[in-house]
Amino acid sequence: MTGYVGKILRLDLTERRAIEIDTEPYRSWGGGHGLGAALFWDFCQDKTITDGRNPANVCIIATSPLNGTPVPSGGGRCEVLGVGVGMHPVSWFTRSGFGGRFSTMLKQAGYDAIVIEGRASTPVWIDIRNRKIQIRDAGELWGQDTWATQLAIRDLVGAPADLESGWWDLNESAAEALDPARDQGRTTQKPAILSIGPAGENQTAAGCLLHDAGNGAGQGGFGAVWGSKNLKAISVVGTGAVAVADAAALLHARNVTQKKYVTPISQPDFAAWSKIGVLPRPLFMNPPPTDQRRPQACQGCIAGCRSRFAIGYGNESTCQETNWYLPAVRRVAKSLDELVEINLKAADLVQKYGYNSFLFQTGLHWLEHLHEEGLLGPGKAINSNLPWEEYGTLEFAEKLIHALSHREDIGADLADGWVQAAYKWGRQDDLRTGHLQFSYWGMPEHGYDPRAELEWGYGSILGDRDCNEHCFNIIFTNITAAFAFAKPMRLQADELVGIIAEKLSPYAKNRPEVLDFGDANMYSEAVAQLVRWHRHYTRFYKQSALFCDLRWPDFYNTNTPDQRGATASDDAGEHVFWNAVTGEALSFEDGIERGRRIWNLDNAIWTLQGRHRDMVHFSPYVYETRFEKGELFPFYMWPVRNEQGEWSYGDLMGRSLDKDKFEQFKTTFYLLEGWDTASGWPTRALLESLDLAKVADTLEVAGRLGQERAS
Amino acid sequence: MACDRKCESSSPECSSPLYSRREVLSGLGVLGMAAAFGAPILLADDRLVIPNSEGFLVVDRKKCQGCGTCMMACSLAHAGVSSYSLSRIQVLQDSFTDWPDDVLIATCRQCQDAPCVQVCPTGANSPDRENGFVRRIDPELCIGCKLCITSCPYTPVRLQWDKEHRKSQKCDLCVDTPYLDEKGGPGGVQACVRACPVGAIAFTRTMPDQSRKDSYDVNLRDAVWKQLGMTTD
Repeated sequence: MTGYVGKILRLDLTERRAIEIDTEPYRSWGGGHGLGAALFWDFCQDKTITDGRNPANVCIIATSPLNGTPVPSGGGRCEVLGVGVGMHPVSWFTRSGFGGRFSTMLKQAGYDAIVIEGRASTPVWIDIRNRKIQIRDAGELWGQDTWATQLAIRDLVGAPADLESGWWDLNESAAEALDPARDQGRTTQKPAILSIGPAGENQTAAGCLLHDAGNGAGQGGFGAVWGSKNLKAISVVGTGAVAVADAAALLHARNVTQKKYVTPISQPDFAAWSKIGVLPRPLFMNPPPTDQRRPQACQGCIAGCRSRFAIGYGNESTCQETNWYLPAVRRVAKSLDELVEINLKAADLVQKYGYNSFLFQTGLHWLEHLHEEGLLGPGKAINSNLPWEEYGTLEFAEKLIHALSHREDIGADLADGWVQAAYKWGRQDDLRTGHLQFSYWGMPEHGYDPRAELEWGYGSILGDRDCNEHCFNIIFTNITAAFAFAKPMRLQADELVGIIAEKLSPYAKNRPEVLDFGDANMYSEAVAQLVRWHRHYTRFYKQSALFCDLRWPDFYNTNTPDQRGATASDDAGEHVFWNAVTGEALSFEDGIERGRRIWNLDNAIWTLQGRHRDMVHFSPYVYETRFEKGELFPFYMWPVRNEQGEWSYGDLMGRSLDKDKFEQFKTTFYLLEGWDTASGWPTRALLESLDLAKVADTLEVAGRLGQERAS
Repeated sequence: MACDRKCESSSPECSSPLYSRREVLSGLGVLGMAAAFGAPILLADDRLVIPNSEGFLVVDRKKCQGCGTCMMACSLAHAGVSSYSLSRIQVLQDSFTDWPDDVLIATCRQCQDAPCVQVCPTGANSPDRENGFVRRIDPELCIGCKLCITSCPYTPVRLQWDKEHRKSQKCDLCVDTPYLDEKGGPGGVQACVRACPVGAIAFTRTMPDQSRKDSYDVNLRDAVWKQLGMTTD
């Protein structure tokens, strides 16, 4: 069973027990999300719960067979699953993920996954060293931020204080070291620690899990789940190994990726269009504050997206957390240097508090609007004593994050969800006007508006959360940036959609029309097939095999002579790496099919939680207002066809979704998926075809099995 | 005959200190030494004079992205498994320390005087004549006494303990890499060099200054690195 290390750790926090079970029975689920969903199914005894803070909730931390190996940008991710917190109207069984070293170290310590059950009576943290488990008192750690917690745990486990200290012998005695059966070995590595901060301790919906300086599992509110379980942190260190089936094939494929698909570092094409094939650059909205820095990457990554600096702030933060405060800072910063400094220090704040800054993506605009309208402030309808006159300063950012993390001021209402707060404040109409752009399931729009980027919006509302999968989003990024900055258009629209469609097997292979997001095609069977492919691809390759969202899939790649990317290729495709590690003979399409099975198990769980198609709606503004203002650019470019079927890049801004037509689209999607079109529930025939008869049995007992279609 | 060095071995072959280096070498005789090391070996004041290695790894700790790919590639190329602890190159990093002190890369220096070779009681650790005199440990001859590990003067120690096989191991510049699809060793490829996405590890035939602790940490950053927005100083 190569790729896996063979054991799963069950932590019963109520009884303070650690139990090992074998991974083997779960192998068909792959890893990550598939593995975690199957574990949730088996160990969550009440799958009707709709708040992740319920003690019955089970939280799973799951690795992939690829973790701990040098699969390019596939070795370092980790999946988190369980019922979420703060979503609306229901907190679904959902997921999040994070990078760094944790999954690698967990496997080297001997575990493929951790199942967290119950609730400790007092705060605890978990000390894992090579399958030696201690559930330890966290009284001294409770109240500390995520960084201080990790540093304190390093001391508690006796890790070397600095890099110059050398090897860390994990043996507790000389006798243990000398006993071949007990020798724990040595490592030079720091323990990998996953922690919550104040936002999680106080069970706010924004509570994250945070590992090292900047690896956060933010969406879904899993910090609140841990807080509700009185679980402060898990520390893991191991000296073991991950066996792979064909090390030579793995190293060869990695080399092919580097040589063929990545732009050569000696003569790079900085304008290359590719996901896997770029050079390391931090994902910042502004220039890095100094050149005194390194790129910083998760384990096995081929191109790091973050940095560590010489300036004492901003380490390991990237993308959204580095610009959550940007619109506010722009108002007060007197220089670019000051703007960048405040933004990166604001990033540090959310990392330390363990606060999911994504809620600010559109949420901060809303709070600001409420303040400007005189609705929010001292003595106002929404009473807040936050110093809004300091809005844009670092001081305000800290006061805001502190209040929201500690349920103080407006944080008391926002803690259970932002849409919930809107209802409490009588501001639910803001979801209609678009002042509160929380598009789906009480979660904020991601910068890729559902009225424009269809696969993102449809995938999110048909699933459980803001999907945050940039598989096709790279099209928008490449094209729109080229238009905005007059960069070379490396592929014309017909070329681009043709190359992508080659890789969309099985549902949309060589059907480029699935990528046409123009008005005439936006509710079509073709787009539904694309959404299916996306749902299934991501559930297996991205969330179970744990290929990084930022680097995969690699559809098109201008570093190669034929401009075809690594995805689905026979020399360095996703399945090539999977097979090299696991020894299986998986085809690329087999992986899509595994994703379909996982996706359907998810839907069965949502169904037990109470889902019905009548609930599957965007927030009203998506139907009732037009998409007029982009987060990044004043236009939203995408491939579209004209009436003659000719492809070009067109602007998708200025439209809304038609609710009735979206209803028809849902029916089309449900039919393609084999779900009951009246309810959206899975049918017995479908579940049995996926070897999920026991799931069908459970749904039947609950009275929530979909009706079969009349033949 | 008792060895005068600290011995941590748990090997059945070495349940008590058995060998002194002099005794082993005397037992081997000149011909034996020649066979073992593949080159004339001189004894001078209890010191072995051994040929210089014809290859070295140098690194740039300011450039490393901390992805650990080199470590995993190393253990895979040599042992077919992915493991930090079995990697011949060690990248240590601390998320909560600023650049450049947040990363330390520890490679075997293929030392000119090679203390680890000097102390090996069985000749398992020796310069390999067939492969540019790279200092290698023959696992068939290693008795797991750990003398090589305790003799390494650098921190972290540049040799590793294989707890499963009860052997010491060290960088051989990829001479013995059954899972690498290209020839390794001096003149060949090194798994870590090949796998590093940013070119923070390099092979050189020029021996770094043996008197300086930091001489293997070099500047491998170039104009492209500057274009990527990072210092080349």
